[in-house]
Amino acid sequence: MATIDDMKAILRDTLQLGDRASNFDASTPLFGSLPELDSMAVVTLITAIEERFDIMVEDDEISAEVFETVGSLTDFVAGKLAA
Amino acid sequence: MAIQPVLIEGPNGPLFAIHHPPAENAPERGDLIYVPPFAEEMNQARRMAAMQARRLVHAGYGVLLLDPAGTGDSGGDFADARWDGWLEDIAAGLDWLEGRGRPLAGLWGLRLGGLLAVAAARANPARVPRLLLWQPVTSGRTFLNQFLRLRVAAGLSGDGERETTATLRAALAAGEPVEIAGYPLAPALAAAIEGADLTVPPPEACAVAWLDMVASPDSPPPPASARTIAAWREAGVSVAHRTVVGEPF
Repeated sequence: MATIDDMKAILRDTLQLGDRASNFDASTPLFGSLPELDSMAVVTLITAIEERFDIMVEDDEISAEVFETVGSLTDFVAGKLAA
Repeated sequence: MAIQPVLIEGPNGPLFAIHHPPAENAPERGDLIYVPPFAEEMNQARRMAAMQARRLVHAGYGVLLLDPAGTGDSGGDFADARWDGWLEDIAAGLDWLEGRGRPLAGLWGLRLGGLLAVAAARANPARVPRLLLWQPVTSGRTFLNQFLRLRVAAGLSGDGERETTATLRAALAAGEPVEIAGYPLAPALAAAIEGADLTVPPPEACAVAWLDMVASPDSPPPPASARTIAAWREAGVSVAHRTVVGEPF
């Protein structure tokens, strides 16, 4: 199970966002809006997600849509876990 | 006794190591051999490993901080380094300690070094009484993917044709070394890493202490660790598992 709170925690810890992440919700935009989330940070974030949820993310699953919002990212991870 | 830089004759060339003798007024606990993490992680962890070594010394452990062939200050090029060669280097470290009359407390492996340490314990049964694993890599395949991804990320903002881990894997399969973050990764080494994991436990006689770093006190341990440890315990291996709260290093 992956929840919005799980994503907020991973984003906070991986991108070192501190308290800012507590105000996030499903609609909060990520890639393109969050300055900390550059391409290098995307890699770090994917690795953190892989470790935390014990999943493997393939290259062709990494798209702008997945990282659009906190909600889309949560749905993506939840989908991988359900598979 | 002072900290000593040493040169160990390894089967793949001279190996550089730093030996920290245990503090004289502490109970004698034997020596640990540190097996470092992979590529840039080795550099990033240097300071932490040195600090930990100093603490261990005060607790009565000697520490041999070993640079496997092709890494750190040891002989050889990274491009020529091989997994089996690294296992031989660890065995050379075991021999060196034995030659100095130093009892072995165990192998201390960080990240991929943890995976190597477990493999070394299996390759040298009855020689390794203990494993200290810091955030060990449980799946070489996942780890290799994450490593290859560094190069994919470097290309993400460029205008050139987008590389993927698949194209990099194809190059490796075709026998071409691939450069990742300045490290020339040889196909043979990549294949060995990809095939390595912790599904096969260390020998039963080996006591394991497994530490995972987590971001906060309520963070769960990585599920891959929990799974692996459960399987090892089922197989009769004694594992002490703890999470440590701290910043990644």
